[in-house]
Amino acid sequence: MRSKRTFVITAVMALTIMVSQAQEVKVPLRFDFYYSYEKVVEALKALHSAYPGMTSLDQVGKSEEGRVIWALTINNPATGEPLTKPGVYVDGNIHGNEIQAGEVCLYLANRLLTYYGKLDDITKVVDRNVFYIIPVVNVDGRAHFFADANTPSSNRGLRIPVDDDHDGLFDEDGPDDIDGDGNITTMRIRDTLGRFRTDPADKRLMIAVKPGEKGEWTRLGQEGIDNDGDGQVNEDGEGYVDGNRNWGFNWNPPYVQRGAGDYPFEGTGIKAIAEWMFARPNIIMVFAFHNSGGMYLRGPSFKAAGELPQGDISVYNYLGENIEKIVPGYEYLISWKDLYSTYGDFTDFTNNLIGSYSLVGELYQSATETFNGSDRLKDEERSRSGEPSEGERQRLLFNDNVAQGELFCEWKPYKHPLYGDIEIGGWAKMSTRMPPPFLLQELVHRNASSVIFAAQYTPKVAMDVFEVKKIEGDLWSIRVRLINEGAMPSVTYQTIKNKLYPKDILSVTGKGIKVISGGELQDPYTGLVSYKEFKPGVQMCQVPGFGKIEYQFLVSGKGNVVLKFESRKAGTTTQTVPLKEKVQKK
Amino acid sequence: MRITYRLLMRGIFLFVAAILAATGPVLAVEKYSDPSSVNRRIEQLRKSYPSAVKVHKLAVTPGGREMLMIEIGQSGTAVPAVFVGANMSGITPVATEAALSLATRIAEDPLHTSGLTWYIVPVGNPDAYARYFNTPLWSDPGNGRPFNDDTDDQTDEDGFNDLDGNGIITQMRVKAPDGVWVPVEGEPRLMRKADATKGEKGIYRLYTEGIDDDGDGEYNEDPPGGTNVNVNFPHLFRNFGRRSGLYAGSEPESAAILKFAFQHPEIAMILSFGQTNFLLSPPQGGRKGSFDSNSIRVPQDMGRMLGIDVSRPFTMAEIIELVQPMLPAGMTADESLIASFLGLGAVVNPLPEDMSFYNEISSDYKEYLKKKGVTAERFDPAQPEDGAFELWAYYHLGLPVFSMDLWGVPRVKEEKKEGSGITVDDLGKMSAEEFTGLGEEKIAAFLKENGAPAQYNASMVMGMVSGGQMKPAQMAAMMKQMPKPGGNGQKADMKKGDPKESALLSFSDSYLEGKGFIPWKSYNHPTLGEVEIGGFAPFAGNTPPAAMVDSLMDLHIPYIFELVKRLPALALTDVKVTDNGSGVYRLELWVANEGSLPFPTAMGKRNKVPAPAVITLEGEGIEILSGKKRTPVAVVGGLKSVRYTWLIRSTGKRTITISLESHQAGNDTEQIIIGG
Repeated sequence: MRSKRTFVITAVMALTIMVSQAQEVKVPLRFDFYYSYEKVVEALKALHSAYPGMTSLDQVGKSEEGRVIWALTINNPATGEPLTKPGVYVDGNIHGNEIQAGEVCLYLANRLLTYYGKLDDITKVVDRNVFYIIPVVNVDGRAHFFADANTPSSNRGLRIPVDDDHDGLFDEDGPDDIDGDGNITTMRIRDTLGRFRTDPADKRLMIAVKPGEKGEWTRLGQEGIDNDGDGQVNEDGEGYVDGNRNWGFNWNPPYVQRGAGDYPFEGTGIKAIAEWMFARPNIIMVFAFHNSGGMYLRGPSFKAAGELPQGDISVYNYLGENIEKIVPGYEYLISWKDLYSTYGDFTDFTNNLIGSYSLVGELYQSATETFNGSDRLKDEERSRSGEPSEGERQRLLFNDNVAQGELFCEWKPYKHPLYGDIEIGGWAKMSTRMPPPFLLQELVHRNASSVIFAAQYTPKVAMDVFEVKKIEGDLWSIRVRLINEGAMPSVTYQTIKNKLYPKDILSVTGKGIKVISGGELQDPYTGLVSYKEFKPGVQMCQVPGFGKIEYQFLVSGKGNVVLKFESRKAGTTTQTVPLKEKVQKK
Repeated sequence: MRITYRLLMRGIFLFVAAILAATGPVLAVEKYSDPSSVNRRIEQLRKSYPSAVKVHKLAVTPGGREMLMIEIGQSGTAVPAVFVGANMSGITPVATEAALSLATRIAEDPLHTSGLTWYIVPVGNPDAYARYFNTPLWSDPGNGRPFNDDTDDQTDEDGFNDLDGNGIITQMRVKAPDGVWVPVEGEPRLMRKADATKGEKGIYRLYTEGIDDDGDGEYNEDPPGGTNVNVNFPHLFRNFGRRSGLYAGSEPESAAILKFAFQHPEIAMILSFGQTNFLLSPPQGGRKGSFDSNSIRVPQDMGRMLGIDVSRPFTMAEIIELVQPMLPAGMTADESLIASFLGLGAVVNPLPEDMSFYNEISSDYKEYLKKKGVTAERFDPAQPEDGAFELWAYYHLGLPVFSMDLWGVPRVKEEKKEGSGITVDDLGKMSAEEFTGLGEEKIAAFLKENGAPAQYNASMVMGMVSGGQMKPAQMAAMMKQMPKPGGNGQKADMKKGDPKESALLSFSDSYLEGKGFIPWKSYNHPTLGEVEIGGFAPFAGNTPPAAMVDSLMDLHIPYIFELVKRLPALALTDVKVTDNGSGVYRLELWVANEGSLPFPTAMGKRNKVPAPAVITLEGEGIEILSGKKRTPVAVVGGLKSVRYTWLIRSTGKRTITISLESHQAGNDTEQIIIGG
């Protein structure tokens, strides 16, 4: 249990944090500080009230603790209703601690709205697309990350209690901020038989002793006490149900994968977001922002899923290879292969059940925290856990000379109820996985640019009725071409493989018009057509990215023929064509 | 002693209950009840027994129907509970009757709710079940969610059509150049596939009764009907499978059950009334994907971490030994941790430790039926489909799960061929001498009947049994895991068609006045031309005539009360204090499981879902030197005991209260005096 003194210190600290963060939220938004959950909500409301015609603000659902999950939709009503446009969905902060993901979302919204009508590229995507932005998925997690003592990595999960140590009690022994500094750091004790000694290059670091060397320290793990008196310290903390393992595609139970939750969509907010997305079938592109590492990941998330269809891989490669240049240093990778297998994660869900291209952006590389004149540490110099390297020494110098000590909590003596005289210290909560605020601006801009880039390549289908020819009497031949200027097809290949929903529809109708036959035009010169035997007036189709498809219909009748292309993701295009000779144009 | 008295009383209660249930008044079933009548009957039950029966509205289906759950008991969540799910597929009417019959018997007799709460869902799939009462009649487990089966431009646009106007959807057979079906020899009503390997040519194509409503060249390819609730559960859920739903738990019916089960840790046993029968056919193994704990391949990167050569497989025990020293203090490497660490994936076969109670109970149930005078042989019940309710209940809740299908088509009695005359169950009870005494000829016949692999010939098996390398019981256990030849133990004669169909036809002719099979009649079809319409009536194969329902319930439901007597019941026994001197005492006790089912099951131990039983020591002025104040109890096998000890220092005469608490397996308390 926390002592009274600790409580007072915590309260004072919390107050200090609140005061220091009492920045005013107004449009255009600032990105030189981190927004608490409440500030994120204020920022969304500010954007909405500054651009009421271009935005709508929805309550998607509520979290376990009753916080609202907000979504900002950016749509220009002058160019059509949201569902008629290719939808770009962006979210962040599904892991409560991965906060800068929320800032990327806010920055994107701010950029699109404040530069609409000023920059052509922005105006075009806002006019042609609809953006669905949920800056904070794990609203409880973000709120607790700001309010409570944490490590940079703690507070990931949803607020669902789990009996981690299977002793019949739930969440009864998590880490404790025993020194009351608002951070959960690490504990160490002097021990001549310990496995570590002080790093001569930087006394704050420890290095492993070699055989024959004398030890100095034993690591005691995260800051905390044995709250439940079971002889173990910190063995049953908050949760753990991971919001990003609880989605309904290829979900597996917790004994297969920790953090899965009892069943798919156990998380109330997770379920609410899924339903909100199902109601927006036009979503073709999904970005989910996390920290950290500097990666853009595509699925599949587990090996057994097999590789994606080649057509989809081409789309991902086009996006990924360009994004690697938009955000230098970030790598475009395959989730299971280059990282590890996960089940029930968000982007597998959106890729398979929403039918969208889906990327996870892992924001920030701590390797950029250097003090040797270079931009970033080379790969081989990155620190590895337990073995301090040049990387960690550099980061400490960066902390000392560039961040004025903000990132590292110096080792301080403490009298621990169980261990006695120990020291507490280590990386602060707001470090390691997120940039110090002065580096935030570039991060949010570059990564929001990835989203804008992808939006530019969502499917963009135009219809060209390029030939109307009289065969004889009332019998006509019509040739139509559907052209896609986007990189993404009008239906993903995975969607077709899964039979998730019907392909797009190209239909031919008209008053007194009978469609005699119709089918894909294989060769416009020889006139080879693969005719559809039944219902020729309704063709199920997909328009490939950077490509076209051509159809030929034989119709009989007089007057006008209506050709209609209907796509969930690429909108609807209609042309009314009079039955009179029209020659192919080149 | 108090504990003994409690258990004794419980035994007597249950015994009396069983007798009463067998003879007690139960409303006679004259016809099956449609979903709304079922809900009225549930409400009626509540009104008749207002103090014992509560009704919960668990979900509203996509078709707008209420899925109700009956709660019966006096103690709510304070005592262990049995959850009964019935008619999850919506195509098993008799399952719903069984649930209602069970509920009525429980409500009528308070002894059934002494220390036990019952949660009963009589119709898990009301939308699909409603079709049983519709005209025309067809069978489809899909609920009322619109679903575009053929992913075209319309939804639910091409269902069945009652072309012959008899109110029943059957089949159409059409002579076609590409036909694959031929009539069965000697029984031209039945059809079988032509055997091209024997030079046979097909004559007919078979369709379900209907027209091509949407003119797309397909018949009845998109009938109304969305998701089968019974394949919408998360174990082995099939993505994009037929009728499986968008994701596990996508339906209000299944989602409500998932949520309810995890909110009720007191649920200690699951019963499923529907398409399977774990009492006659215990859960089967043999699925690919499950790892063999004696031969695990360690991935290279993990191998490097553990410092081992991964070219050879390792046993689970070896890996546990390697991993344990790498873990932080206090963390124990167990099978569950290793499985998730190595990414071994989900368990897909019933764990061997659990098969022992399944097999034992199955033998007991067969004995029970024999005693009740049931001699008719029936076909083996189906095994659960992927994503089924009963699979999820075992694999994800880690509970003992029993299922009943309550009725099956009786086998046609054939002239007894010269065979072995013994079954696998018989084998399990034989001594080595009895087995070898059967002689080589009978043993060969037995092996062949049961589809033993060719390398196990009679003389070799006899050698192994007489040499003691294999006991008949072990052999029986092995054979139960093997797939059965022809799906049903009898070698099917191709020319005679599907033996199940022959049996159903014969049952229809003898007991249903032929109503189970509609004779083929010619019909002029708008697009197929001259066709014949006929075939089995839907539900004929799984739904007994309503007149049989009462006697089936009297036969099967009492066994449920036998089953729940087996629930694990933990008690503290033989509490002993030894004075070790200097104020230090050794406290020793046994946790005894008076039930014949283990707590938890092996699966429950693996998935760690059942809430643990915990022993707590409370007392002023004592210090626990060794052991914990709260001790989670490990596995206690059926009718077994496990010993726990503590070292305690006490300065004077002190009272220690020892409590054992478990949601599923009961509570117990003891007080002892220490010191002084």
